[in-house]
Amino acid sequence: MKITLTVNGEEFPLDVEPRRVLADVLREDCRLTGTHLGCEHGVCGACGVLVDGEAVRSCLILAVQCDGSSVRTVEGLAGPDGEPSALQRAFSAEHALQCGFCTPGFLMVATGALEADPTLGDDPDRIEDLVRSNLCRCTGYEPIRRAITRAAQEARQLAP
Amino acid sequence: MHQWGRREDQRLTMGKGRFVADIEVPGCLDAVFVRSKTGHGTLRSVDCAPARAVPGVVGAWAAADLMDMPACAHSASVLQDLPPVPHSVLARLSSDEAVAGREWPALVKERVRYAGEAVAVVVGEDRYLAEDGAAEVTFEVEPLPAMVRPSDAARDSFPLFDGLSNVALTGEAGQPIDDSVWRDAAAVVEGRYRQSLLLPTPMECRAILVAPDADRLTVWAGHQAPHRLRRELAASLGWPEDRVRVVVPDTGGAFGSKSATFPEYVVVAYLAVKLRRPVRWIEDRLESMMVATRGRGQDQRVRLAADADGRLLAYELTIEADVGAYPHLGVGLPMQTAWMATGPYATPKVHATVRSVLTNTMVTYPYRGAGRPEAAIALERSMDTMARRLSMDPAELRRRNLIPPESFPYETPTGRRYDSGNYAGALELALRTVDYDGWRAEQARRGKDPGAMPLGIGLSCYVERSGGEPGGLFEFGGLEAGEDGSITARCGAASSGQGHETVFPALVARTLGVAQWRVRLIEGDTGEQPEGLGSFASRTAQVVGALLWHACQLLIDEARRRAARMWGVPVERVEWSDGTVRDAHDRSAVLDLSHLVKATGPLKVDDRFETGMAFPFGTHVAVAEVDPELGTVHLLRLVAVDDCGVVLDPEIVHGQAFGSCVQGIGQALYEGIPYGDDGVPLLGNGLLDYLLPTFSEVPPIEVRHTRTPSPGSPLGAKGAGESGCIGTPAAVVNAVIDALQVADPDLLQMPLTPDVVWRAARAPKRGEPR
Repeated sequence: MKITLTVNGEEFPLDVEPRRVLADVLREDCRLTGTHLGCEHGVCGACGVLVDGEAVRSCLILAVQCDGSSVRTVEGLAGPDGEPSALQRAFSAEHALQCGFCTPGFLMVATGALEADPTLGDDPDRIEDLVRSNLCRCTGYEPIRRAITRAAQEARQLAP
Repeated sequence: MHQWGRREDQRLTMGKGRFVADIEVPGCLDAVFVRSKTGHGTLRSVDCAPARAVPGVVGAWAAADLMDMPACAHSASVLQDLPPVPHSVLARLSSDEAVAGREWPALVKERVRYAGEAVAVVVGEDRYLAEDGAAEVTFEVEPLPAMVRPSDAARDSFPLFDGLSNVALTGEAGQPIDDSVWRDAAAVVEGRYRQSLLLPTPMECRAILVAPDADRLTVWAGHQAPHRLRRELAASLGWPEDRVRVVVPDTGGAFGSKSATFPEYVVVAYLAVKLRRPVRWIEDRLESMMVATRGRGQDQRVRLAADADGRLLAYELTIEADVGAYPHLGVGLPMQTAWMATGPYATPKVHATVRSVLTNTMVTYPYRGAGRPEAAIALERSMDTMARRLSMDPAELRRRNLIPPESFPYETPTGRRYDSGNYAGALELALRTVDYDGWRAEQARRGKDPGAMPLGIGLSCYVERSGGEPGGLFEFGGLEAGEDGSITARCGAASSGQGHETVFPALVARTLGVAQWRVRLIEGDTGEQPEGLGSFASRTAQVVGALLWHACQLLIDEARRRAARMWGVPVERVEWSDGTVRDAHDRSAVLDLSHLVKATGPLKVDDRFETGMAFPFGTHVAVAEVDPELGTVHLLRLVAVDDCGVVLDPEIVHGQAFGSCVQGIGQALYEGIPYGDDGVPLLGNGLLDYLLPTFSEVPPIEVRHTRTPSPGSPLGAKGAGESGCIGTPAAVVNAVIDALQVADPDLLQMPLTPDVVWRAARAPKRGEPR
């Protein structure tokens, strides 16, 4: 089936089997391997991407369902000059990653929430809910909470 | 340029990490395994023919299809049969005796011995096509009685291997304790503890890609011990080691579970050679939950004796270990528990016995802590039981028995020689940090308030072993100085999230007195570093750190010798400081290392370096509130005081300690593989059935450190990273028991699910008639 995905601003005209999940198409067909598969049944969230701005587990959605959609992956978070986003910087600064396998999923779910509402930093409960949505086996989560909080507070200061 | 917290962070946060599944090798095939759903049975037939007819399937084989084949025409292979799974030789994890007569075929030949054991493999042009093929394979397994619990299996009512006992290893540490000791003691307590089977669950499952090229193989694997994998794969293929190169790219966590050569790895390497094409196996999560190695798995009985003042007299630990269906990987692992049975106390008589029993479950293997959590949990639960028996504060009972600092090195009755410690220092810091007296007052207040939730405080003092066992306490590596000022460090370690690329260049830079950016690390590649042991047993900071420190000394010595020759002065006159050599008598003679290399040629030092065994220790304290109506445990506070000697990178050690505490909470409250009587794990809904802690389950955790250097290494570093798995579980369980004040603490077996806690809350309390 012929579909078009816009991934990180770039158009990908693709011919994919209807059964292929978005994660596999991103990884194999678009060669964007920053999106990781941790469980392939929607629990861990490592495969998180944004589809039209909404956080989605890309192992649970078919690529054909995203035809004509705009997809953002971890590769699309850096600025035009390749500089890391505030959230990426915060993850590093707070030691919010160890092995780094789950990191793309946390970055995407938090980026989606931060972009949807720059006042997120005012609400610790909502940040905690974001951290609850994915699994990490290395860090114990608290550094991830701190990183998202740090980036959210930075965004708050920049917001008008 | 942005300054990254760790060097690894740049690629890992930018989506540019390179894990095995990310590696693109043209023409690479995907392998998918067809797995038995029966836990124990006779394989009657396998039919792969329908799979071979599926478009995109390159081949499908059962073991029978690969037996007695004519020797492959390919010059690289003389194999006529799929090789069996090799066994661990390191750290006495397995032995020739234990595996004799118990072959572990890489694909089932005659008998299925654990649910999920592979009966066939299908290789396809991609994963979808290989799975299409796998769905077409039919096979028949005639069920046999499943031996699920070690106590049943140990009776040999049905042997897993015909003619051989299910008890694959027995062992002991310490001397048997005379009956009179128990008879004459003022207080004796007993306990029975179950250490459930756990899933290590790194976020990246296992992964291997094998690419043949002429008569060589390149293997990419998320792995902790690339040289071991190279050695064992080469031996399996009947090849010399130098024709196999193992490369460890980014690895998504391991926690002990990625250091062996697994059946699937043998099959993939064999097929890559046979097909002369690259083949990979990327394990999926449901597969991992069925067939990745398990951790823990012990049924324990203990007896602890003390005099009326609470001085420990004797401790006896009996371990019946569930080591799974094959003794190849971890049959000797429970001995770690026996050797560490003494714990941090000066108990004069300690005796531990082990019976490693084969069961119809996947194999048990090191999982973060690897034998030491089992030792600490049994002893620390028993200490609390003893404190209640003596009506003594549990902190005071421990205080009276901790090995005092002046007693090191301390020879334990169970054969360990503890290197250094200040156990009481860690205990007191933990008590102060948590505000022990304050919580005891709150507990007393709640005891008088019928509306208040019961609250408990749990202590756990632990000592563990790091670095490995004798014969495995060394590592290989070296340094190379370039004309451009660069310094390249190489070692046999492999990182799976511990930040080696950051920590070791910083250590080398600090030791040589040069800027960090000049130093880079190459590891996890047998092509770059010919010999190595790897990263396991909390050995990397301790052993590899010491090796790199030693390599710095070698490099400095060589640089001074060269400068002395060049300047025609005695070497004693040449000093090293901040990356330069200088003549102490001639202030104009100063040369940077890079200029010295330009003038005198390549400068490379390599060596093997060995440290002693080290014994990190600490005290963890948990404060728990229990809801007797819902059976839920609410952790209000966790304090972890660890001492891992000299810390190389405080933030990384803190991250390791914190993360491992959360895994320890997982063992105490949530994690455990339920098995049906047929030997099938009851995990039909995947990770929804195996409760890994999420952020919701993380209490406020405070990690503190004391610092007692190890005398067995020039850096003084001991292993870090397993402390939470070792120290935390007993603290949590003891807190729940303290809150409920149950008369029979054995009712509370981990994981303390709401069901377990709810039932215990209804059982007789201390002092009530039972």
